[in-house]
Amino acid sequence: MRRILSSITDGKGFDILLVSLTMIFLIVMAGLPLLYNVLMSFQQVDMFNLGTFSRPFIGLENYQDVISQPEFGLVMKNTAIFVFGSIIGQFCFGFALAIFFMAKFPFASTIRGLFLVSWVMPGLVVGALWGFILAGDYGVLNAILQALGVTNGTMFWKSDPNLSIWAVTIANIWLGLAFNMMLLSVGLAGIPGDLYEAAELDGANGWQRFSTITLPMMRATIGAVLALGLIYTLQQFDLFPAITEGGPANSSSVAQYWAWQWSFKLFDFAKGATVSVMMLIFVLIASIVYVWSTRHEVRG
Amino acid sequence: MSRVPVPKLLFVLAIALAAIYLFPLYWMYVTSLKGQSEIFANPPTFWPRNPDPSIYPETWARRNMSVFLWNSVVIGSGVTALTVLLGTGCAYVLARYRSVWIDIGLFAILMLQVLPASVMITPLYVGFNQLGLLNYPRTAVILAASAKAIPFYIVLVRATFMNVPRELEEAALVDGNSRWGAFFFIVLPLARNGILVLAILTFMQAFGEYIYSKSIITTQAYQPASVGLSGFLGPNSTDWNGIMAYAAIYVTPIVAIFVILQRRIVAGLTSGALK
Amino acid sequence: MKFSKVKLLAGVAFAAMAIAGPSVAQEPVTITVWSIDGANQAGPSDTFSKEFNEQSTDIKVEYRTLKFDEIVNETLRAYATGSAPDIVSLDNPDFALFSSRGAFLDITDMVKNSDVINADAYFEGPLNSVTWDGKLYGVPKYTDTIGLFYNKDMLEEAGIAEPPQTWEEFEAAARKMAKPDQGIYGATLSARGNEEGTFQFLPVIQMSGGSYKDVNTEGAREWLSMVKGMIDDGVMSQDVLSLGQFDSTGTFNSGNAAMAISGPWEIERMVKDADFDWGVTLLPTFKEGDERSSALGGFNLGIMSTTKHPEEAFKVLEYFVSQDDRLFPEFGYLPARGDIELPETGVEKKDAALKVFQEQLKYAKPRGPSPVWQKVSKAIFDAEQAALTGQMTPDEALSQAQSTIDSVVQD
Repeated sequence: MRRILSSITDGKGFDILLVSLTMIFLIVMAGLPLLYNVLMSFQQVDMFNLGTFSRPFIGLENYQDVISQPEFGLVMKNTAIFVFGSIIGQFCFGFALAIFFMAKFPFASTIRGLFLVSWVMPGLVVGALWGFILAGDYGVLNAILQALGVTNGTMFWKSDPNLSIWAVTIANIWLGLAFNMMLLSVGLAGIPGDLYEAAELDGANGWQRFSTITLPMMRATIGAVLALGLIYTLQQFDLFPAITEGGPANSSSVAQYWAWQWSFKLFDFAKGATVSVMMLIFVLIASIVYVWSTRHEVRG
Repeated sequence: MSRVPVPKLLFVLAIALAAIYLFPLYWMYVTSLKGQSEIFANPPTFWPRNPDPSIYPETWARRNMSVFLWNSVVIGSGVTALTVLLGTGCAYVLARYRSVWIDIGLFAILMLQVLPASVMITPLYVGFNQLGLLNYPRTAVILAASAKAIPFYIVLVRATFMNVPRELEEAALVDGNSRWGAFFFIVLPLARNGILVLAILTFMQAFGEYIYSKSIITTQAYQPASVGLSGFLGPNSTDWNGIMAYAAIYVTPIVAIFVILQRRIVAGLTSGALK
Repeated sequence: MKFSKVKLLAGVAFAAMAIAGPSVAQEPVTITVWSIDGANQAGPSDTFSKEFNEQSTDIKVEYRTLKFDEIVNETLRAYATGSAPDIVSLDNPDFALFSSRGAFLDITDMVKNSDVINADAYFEGPLNSVTWDGKLYGVPKYTDTIGLFYNKDMLEEAGIAEPPQTWEEFEAAARKMAKPDQGIYGATLSARGNEEGTFQFLPVIQMSGGSYKDVNTEGAREWLSMVKGMIDDGVMSQDVLSLGQFDSTGTFNSGNAAMAISGPWEIERMVKDADFDWGVTLLPTFKEGDERSSALGGFNLGIMSTTKHPEEAFKVLEYFVSQDDRLFPEFGYLPARGDIELPETGVEKKDAALKVFQEQLKYAKPRGPSPVWQKVSKAIFDAEQAALTGQMTPDEALSQAQSTIDSVVQD
């Protein structure tokens, strides 16, 4: 007993205690719901047995049903477009802005502060706002594009099946820009300035400095940003009901919206759980990317 | 980091970029001041024909916003407190070692994030119901939302701890400090800025929490502002200028605080590093 | 809102009384009522609940407002976890999900013995939606339907004497009145990817001889081609695919569309917002004198079968029904029964529009009733959207919908 106590105050037990408290909390609050969903995806669920765990098992029937839906392929394609489009967009714009604001000019850091606004905007508000901006006829984006001469006709962002998934992706890029820029700024600030000076003396040009100093030094930050970005993009839900509702004809439906639609619009909870379990694959990729990136961390 | 021959040009460019980025925010304010039919006018008007600021006090009073916003503050504070309490220690340990177990821990923490809140809510509701937690709806929301916030917090605070020089902690241990002592008196103060900033970020995310609140909190007196806002979005009664006014009242204070504090926020995230 | 503050105070006071006051000999029975009324303005269920509490001592109503999108799944979840309300008010196509599984209380006998509720007084469509397997599981709360609003000034300007009565005339009129260069469309409707899309499209299927179980009719295919042609030519906005009925009608009110398919809930706003002369006519048919059809909207009230106080809940229900004559004058809703005279309001356009909608109600057909209505509905609006965006031909879209419907509807 005393050994355990002293280990807790002064040894490995201290570490284990700190980690396990959090892990227990997370397992109860996130692990059990995950298990519940995994279980449910193999079961037959209706309103009478929603509250219990014991339900008739039906094997892979839910999976077969989901895959044989006519919109299955489309939803998976959209999920890929939304996830990778959002991440690439957020990351590239975020990185560009982060580098831009490292430059020294008047009010640089104050203006950079303005770019963090989307972080604090609730998803619901952002969705309503972009839904309005992207509207075809009375939407302001079209008015601007037309005034600039970029487009002639009206672009029906929300109603054209070729544009709708991009409409939500644009809104999500805006939403995630702050997060990406902030973390990447922090990473950039952590690179010692003398490295660049040395490289400059050696005659390295801008691109060489970027690829030989910035990128390698930022590997851990980039990994974390991409992994978290992937997870947050997969969690992004509020924008869909507000902007396109997955339409027209599922052309902007993604896995997380589809799962919700199964559960809360069609009241087929098992299929909703099935779709959400399929999303595990994506998060698996994100987690591997993240853990891999931590291998390149430099301890201060 | 690079040569800047024309700072003024960069300044102008920065302003232009900021204007583009902030346009949605501008649009929120402008739309709130328009009349019902002007909102749907084609082409849209960039400045309201008859700006009507009375929508603000009207929305504030009619929607009972003080109660909603207070609940948002309560939930935001609760989530932040719980997250900092549970996340900080865990992040510290995960930053301290380098082993397969740490990898597994990080991996698990991220994997537990797999499900969107919209899918998590059914099992959580069932569980809370059995535990009787639904009678304490705000507490239940705080618990559920914290589980969503903690992984993010851990990943970023862990990065802050990575910047705390290991030698300082080891020196403290050599001086006879216990692990507790070294953690509380040496490591934590050095990571203070980063933790503070992430706490602020966590608060701001939790301030907008919606999905859990709308299902768990059934009494209007305990609902946060996000649920209050969604109450507008009925099928046949979408009062857009009211929605935008509500949204503006909802986000303006946090946006303002954030912009004022931003210098410290970015600095805080980086200055944990004592290079 | 002052009102909700009062409610809040009343609630606090009531709670305080419950804690502080000595326990009264006869505890009042609490009946919980869920409905979407009262979110933006006072609606029937919240008002009647409040008034019920003012005059009743032995029964207390605890009222909760829910969002339209959420009331069904909140009720499902509450039912599954044993915390269901006593009375809930649902959109009529959602009702069968519960009644078919016995989650609503069979009130056939209670209604038979009731002096207040008379099942025969209700219109057939609404009554159908609360009936399952010959038994009565609830009462219709109010009803609505859709018709065609038209901008009289634009009609006149285009030299069209009468509002269109057939779809052919509808298209011709729309094409004549559209002015793309001024941002004015010939017509608008809602083909949104949710229940609203089905609400407006199903009548077309029905009037061409189909039903929700049989959607691939010639008329439906023709209609989809016609609307797609109008969208392609800029006579109708492509955004009809994402606009809800309220927003779609908003473009009509602001003068950006010459005609709009929508319902009586718009009358109030139109009287206020539209600065032009307008009228309403019945939903067009395929040929003159053809079978008419229209959508049947409106909510129902039902008692959950898990209630501990069925008799008290029924009393509350009776009270609600006894106030039906106030639905139109106070809230602008049409009663779902034929034995209530709607008084003239004195507002000329409003009274004229009301007459048209009362006529239209005679042709309104319910959606379902089917316990899997939501899946049927998704198949229908998906097909409409796929055809209108050109992702599929009308025939492909409707036959895909048909096979989905065949696989979910079992009877």
